[in-house]
Amino acid sequence: MKPFWIYYQKEMLEASRTYKWIWVPAVFLLLGIMQPVSTYYLPEILTMSGEVPPEAAALFTIPSADSVMASTLSQFSTIGLLVLVLAGMNTVAGERATGTAELVLTRTVSTLPMMGAKWAAMMTLMLVSFALGLAGAAYYTHQLIGPLEWGAVASGGLLYAVWLAWIVTLVLPLGAVLRGPAAAFISLGTAAALSLLSGLLPSRFQWSPGRLSSMAAEWMLGAGAGAWAPVIAALLIMLLSIIAAAGLLRRSPLSPQS
Amino acid sequence: MTEKLLSIHELTKSIGSITPVKGISFDLKRGGCTALLGPNGAGKTTTLRMLAGLIPPTRGEIKHGSADKQTNDWRHRIGYLPQYPKFYSWMSGKEYLSFSAKLSGLSGQKALQRSQEVIEMVGLQQASKRRISGYSGGMKQRLGIAQALVHEPELIMLDEPVSALDPIGRREVMDLLNRLRGEVTILFSTHVLHDAEEICDDMVLMVDGEIAEKGALSELRSKYRQPVLSIEVEPGERELAWLHGLSKRSFVQEAEVGKHRAKLTVTDMGAARAALIKELADNGIELLRFEAGTSSLEDMFMKVVGP
Repeated sequence: MKPFWIYYQKEMLEASRTYKWIWVPAVFLLLGIMQPVSTYYLPEILTMSGEVPPEAAALFTIPSADSVMASTLSQFSTIGLLVLVLAGMNTVAGERATGTAELVLTRTVSTLPMMGAKWAAMMTLMLVSFALGLAGAAYYTHQLIGPLEWGAVASGGLLYAVWLAWIVTLVLPLGAVLRGPAAAFISLGTAAALSLLSGLLPSRFQWSPGRLSSMAAEWMLGAGAGAWAPVIAALLIMLLSIIAAAGLLRRSPLSPQS
Repeated sequence: MTEKLLSIHELTKSIGSITPVKGISFDLKRGGCTALLGPNGAGKTTTLRMLAGLIPPTRGEIKHGSADKQTNDWRHRIGYLPQYPKFYSWMSGKEYLSFSAKLSGLSGQKALQRSQEVIEMVGLQQASKRRISGYSGGMKQRLGIAQALVHEPELIMLDEPVSALDPIGRREVMDLLNRLRGEVTILFSTHVLHDAEEICDDMVLMVDGEIAEKGALSELRSKYRQPVLSIEVEPGERELAWLHGLSKRSFVQEAEVGKHRAKLTVTDMGAARAALIKELADNGIELLRFEAGTSSLEDMFMKVVGP
């Protein structure tokens, strides 16, 4: 277990030295706060813009607290996910491309602790940022719109975190064979494709981890269905990704260019 | 003293259709310094990467330690410096060294202590707390050597440690390697014969993935020592004709004739010198320079490596 901790400390130090610990949580916090605040002020914004007749603006009803929370999640799905994947895309691909892996890998027999530590560090950053964003959203929703059911928010958030986690984990094995941007693009593409497929053919893709984001939103609205199959699928994908990434990195520790 | 630290047998590496290393075998003696010599593209880097455990060999075996007891912690007992060492530029020199030391199994306390020792050894005390991104090329190379030494390995493998350095940086690294001789076993690759002659006892010369020549430097030197005469004359037709006629003399083994100079490898220096001086005087050749000496490893290197 010792190499794992050495790598984990190194990854955390790297994330803070490269300011990931500032901008990723900041983006999530901003995204989380924006949704309830902009929903709350939307009627006033519409009236002020002057082109909407006051009658129409009056028709606008402020949605319920839990549906605001559910739509916050969709904010995280786009920009939040992009930020996480971009922050994580070079953890493996970068080490191969710059050649820092060459020196590190001569010192260790197994790449598994290294990959595990990279994954754990990414998860730490993701969980802290997401929790911060969700807490910000919940606080403002509670203050501006109405009381929330904290249990539903927490369980929905947890489910959503699993969804973020498996997509972010995909950059590890992809980074072990491709360059950083390509890895990021493919992992985001996979996420989009799986979400789309499970939306189009819901009965066929009961197990698809792509359903997790929409299920998390349902859980927040208090109408949760059982989510075991997709959660287990997501956990399996993560486990396989880490093992595959470790194997692939051992096989080709250096990019062809270096 | 003659204990084998590492022996490789029929080591081969194929990448796709090309085979950069074609079945090489050699041994490293404990405490020795061996140069892996060869022109660019001879397969030196590939060999070292295999020895460092970075890439698996296609065929052949690498034995660490003495022949019978094969241990698994050999990675902790070698230090490796790649040709272009790359560090985490956001770390400071000292942080990088203690990170490397800890990865090689040193405890936190010991890692810090060793980092400080090797920093002083390579002379980076002033820069030890600065980020590596601000280091110069020479400083990075010295940091690379420091990281290869930090876990007190038995064997260090350096890939072209001085090729990218200016003369002063080169001097510093060579002096450092000279100080390390005896303490650790050194294997380093280079394409400069002079560097190898300066600090090494043994050499392995690779050309096109094969070993062209190997052995102790002193043996090789006497093996390839041959009497050589070099003659330079004033430009002129008579002189040129005479130079071209030289290769037909009985004592001449090999002749390289240029525009107004010739380099002769001869069998008997005494006889050749006497005969040639007589000829020069008789024919009234306008002589510029006449030098008798021996061929060096440089000539051997050029001959083996050349087309």
